[in-house]
Amino acid sequence: MTVQRSRSSYRVVAASAVTAGIIVVAGCSGTPAEDEGAGTLSVLIAAPQEGAGKILEEEFEKAHDVEVEVEVVPYDQIQSKVTLDVQSGTSAYDVIQYWYPTVGALAEAGALADITDWVAGDEDIDQADFIDAVYQPYTQYDGKTYGLPIDGDTHVLFYNTEIFERNGVEPPATWDEYVDVARTITENESGDGVYGTALLGSKSAFNIGSSFFNRLATMSSDPIDSAMPQLDSDVAVEAAQAMLDVSEYALPSPLEIGFEQALPQFLAGKVGMMEFWTDLGVFAQDPEQSQIVDGWGVVPLPLGPEGSVSGALNAGWAMGISPNAADEDLAKQFVAFASSADTNEMLITTTGSGIDPTRTSTLESEDYAELVPEVAEVNEQVLPNAQSWPTSPAAPEMIQVLGDNLALMLQGNLSAEEAVSDTWDTWQPLAE
Amino acid sequence: MSIRTAVSGDATRAVVLPGSRPRRAPGSSSRAISSLKWVVLVVAILLAITPILYLIATSFKSPDDILSTRILPARFAVENWASAMANWPIFTYLGNSLLVAGVAVVVALVIAVPANYAIARLRVGGGQTLLLIVSAYIAPPVVAIVPLFLLVRTAGLMNSPFGLGLVEGLMLTPVAVWLLDGFFRSIPGEIDEAAQLDGCGPVRTLVSVLLPLITPGLAAVGIIVFILVYNDFLIPLLLTQTGSAQTLPVGIALMQGGREVMFGQMAAASLTGIIPVYLLALFAQRWLIGGLTQGSVK
Amino acid sequence: MSTVATRTRQVVRRPARRAAWTGRAMLVPAVFAVVVIAVYPLVFSVAASLSDSSLGQQFTDWVGGANYAALFTDGVTLPSLVRSVVFALASAILALVGGSVVALCLDVSVRSGRVLRVLLLLPLMTPPVMAAVVWRLMLAPTGGLFNNVIQTISPGAEPFLFLGSSPAAMISVIAVDAWQWAPFCALLVFAALQTLPSEVYEAAQVDGAGTLQVFRRITFPLLLPSLLTALLLKVVLSFKVFDLVFVMTGGGPGFDTTVSSYDIYRSGFQSFDIGMAAAQTIVFLVLVTIVIVPLNAVRQRAQKGAS
Repeated sequence: MTVQRSRSSYRVVAASAVTAGIIVVAGCSGTPAEDEGAGTLSVLIAAPQEGAGKILEEEFEKAHDVEVEVEVVPYDQIQSKVTLDVQSGTSAYDVIQYWYPTVGALAEAGALADITDWVAGDEDIDQADFIDAVYQPYTQYDGKTYGLPIDGDTHVLFYNTEIFERNGVEPPATWDEYVDVARTITENESGDGVYGTALLGSKSAFNIGSSFFNRLATMSSDPIDSAMPQLDSDVAVEAAQAMLDVSEYALPSPLEIGFEQALPQFLAGKVGMMEFWTDLGVFAQDPEQSQIVDGWGVVPLPLGPEGSVSGALNAGWAMGISPNAADEDLAKQFVAFASSADTNEMLITTTGSGIDPTRTSTLESEDYAELVPEVAEVNEQVLPNAQSWPTSPAAPEMIQVLGDNLALMLQGNLSAEEAVSDTWDTWQPLAE
Repeated sequence: MSIRTAVSGDATRAVVLPGSRPRRAPGSSSRAISSLKWVVLVVAILLAITPILYLIATSFKSPDDILSTRILPARFAVENWASAMANWPIFTYLGNSLLVAGVAVVVALVIAVPANYAIARLRVGGGQTLLLIVSAYIAPPVVAIVPLFLLVRTAGLMNSPFGLGLVEGLMLTPVAVWLLDGFFRSIPGEIDEAAQLDGCGPVRTLVSVLLPLITPGLAAVGIIVFILVYNDFLIPLLLTQTGSAQTLPVGIALMQGGREVMFGQMAAASLTGIIPVYLLALFAQRWLIGGLTQGSVK
Repeated sequence: MSTVATRTRQVVRRPARRAAWTGRAMLVPAVFAVVVIAVYPLVFSVAASLSDSSLGQQFTDWVGGANYAALFTDGVTLPSLVRSVVFALASAILALVGGSVVALCLDVSVRSGRVLRVLLLLPLMTPPVMAAVVWRLMLAPTGGLFNNVIQTISPGAEPFLFLGSSPAAMISVIAVDAWQWAPFCALLVFAALQTLPSEVYEAAQVDGAGTLQVFRRITFPLLLPSLLTALLLKVVLSFKVFDLVFVMTGGGPGFDTTVSSYDIYRSGFQSFDIGMAAAQTIVFLVLVTIVIVPLNAVRQRAQKGAS
């Protein structure tokens, strides 16, 4: 009996030792972030800009004697990651790329440092060169600056020249014409799997939100209020209605269509026209991906009766600094570098970077015009007039509610008016 | 070796000690039944692999071909595979996934086996202990992430495959306990008695007598825990930061980032992750199922 | 049974107390695991549910039952709970039935090589994210495999919206989940089949019983506890479904495939309202308990019956 007891207790001790050993080893092998000393910079990048992230890492490491660690995160997880990081006291990131509508939320959560003074004081940043329509919403909250723009996104209208010729239609100038053109093409060719348009209606913000704000921005005579977009106006209802009107002629089915579904179809020549980001111009000329090389055109988005040429800032990225950055100066240098005119110009002319112009100088640059002549021309008209999505601290939730109601509308459960007014009602308590 | 038969209820139950299980009598299935079983298996296999075949076809499709009306690729876009390997650290992700899952299996089984023994044999805990333990697995981890994040950070386990494996192992322990319960209970109590009469204490009984008997169960549960951890997404996403620790599902999700989602490359990358696990299963199942079905009289 | 029990009691009386303490010691690691990954977050969740918490700033305010009141009236949470139950039961039963059928037929393939059998495991080994992407491609309205087949059969037909219409969307997600997990059930049932005593079958043969009778009278009752164990676990797994909904439908069309786990994710990681997400989690736990407890009671009774 005694022998047995000591044997079993030996086993228990051994087991605990092994378990403890596992925990110790695990602890020792963890977290490079803890080893952050001078000379390591931790940068958070969104997956769409992974190409840019790699280039920035290389270039910055060459120019400065530091180690840059880039972490790439799916675009819809950035805010969660950053917020968790801050709230748990982890502070693993020095530099943070963020989706601009989250600027208010991140500022309130203490995830972004106030860099107003630095930006105002540092001439090299050349703040005036930033396109104002981009700079204001991307970086400002409560009168302070929290980041610098690195990717200026907006939608323009791409169309397939061959499909348009076949059906005898012209690129639409108004949203009513847009519906007509879509209907014509779809009625003629849907049997062959060709549709007039691809409406981005899947519930992720970048899709259904973009479709709505495209219309709101170009129908409304007043700019969209970035604290509380004016959903209590008739224009808002018209914008939603315009989505609903065209949905029956769009690539089936809008609720399932996100940019990853729409793009291959457009590039395969199955879609007559599409509201999409400007880099579609680059993809369309890539013979590896596209069957419509040289077979497409681009114009600004259609207008409403009272609207003017503009667009909406759909997606869009800026870069800020964590208040707990280990080396604040180094982090600032990185952000300045990433948002500089030289870098922006280099990235917008590099395929696969995921970056679009943020500055007047780069928007109008020759290299950009040479790479994508038609797109550059249209973008120059649109981007300086592009309008912002909400950027208040409640913005992520507001955008989600809007997307939910618009989806219900496309599904047929709500009318355009109900979708807009329900959203407006839900928004009210969210505003402080 | 002896066989004792006890009659209880309306089922005749034979107690068979290990090593003496005879083969099923030949001719126990008529040919018609055999053929029917084969038909079922073939249908099942087709259902199982058709999407995988589609995945393989997709991995060879160029981007403009993905949503076309062709089932097979127009041309074999082998570059998808090359790009997938070059653009993403697939093998690192794969290694991490295997390591994390392996650690988790060890942790879960090491914790579960004694716990199961205690519950099933030593009558520790009430009748609801099992259910209580399983209920720990029920909640979606969304809200749990917030306090867990802090805990993992404090323990220094962030961004580490071992740390992630430990956390996953703890989270999967309820599943292991739940599944092993049946295996423990299927062994007749007389075996415990026999061991005790031989002078074994509870620990010795567990390790020397019962453990060998439930090895098939351990293997099955181990495989299942392995797969559950291997396929987990949300926890690895939030508890790892860099490619040195990220797992395959996280890696695949990262490929969905850009505007031009490269489905072909994603498919190639996923297959790179599936194939090694498939080969692993090929070997593991021989050991699991083959060993059982051999069962000849020693 | 009673004779055996008395004898057991007599034999184990002396080491009983030590066994009890050893038993408790053996349970400690499991208890530790449960405390870390369940009790601690549960306490946090209960506290958060009674507060106004966002992902960035927790416990900014105590609001008592306001979160709960809101979720009962928002018109989204309650339907999502119902959908979770429907999804869990439907996919679990489908997976279990499919898996059992396969497990029962596996014995004929014993000698024909393991490749065949491991092929059956493939759906389980596919990361759910990738499985969802592949199925989404296959079910796409234009260019997807199924619609291509439909177009070949009847050209020019309207595309069928497997994921864009209801109830097709819910059925599709249930089917894909069952596809993924049927091998899991097959594995469990097959392992359980291996533990069945074979003397029983020989005796039945001697008695001249037919295959169906053997199954109904002998195999099934002996298998029932294992089937119910597998069913219960699959139900729990189904309640947690997330990746499939996230990738295949995003909870849509509209909210038609928004199950509770996805709704909680939305609240927590898209609206960043941790207080609401916590309240929804608590209500979800209550619901799952309500579904599982009776199932477990049935399972325990079946276990006692088979012994």
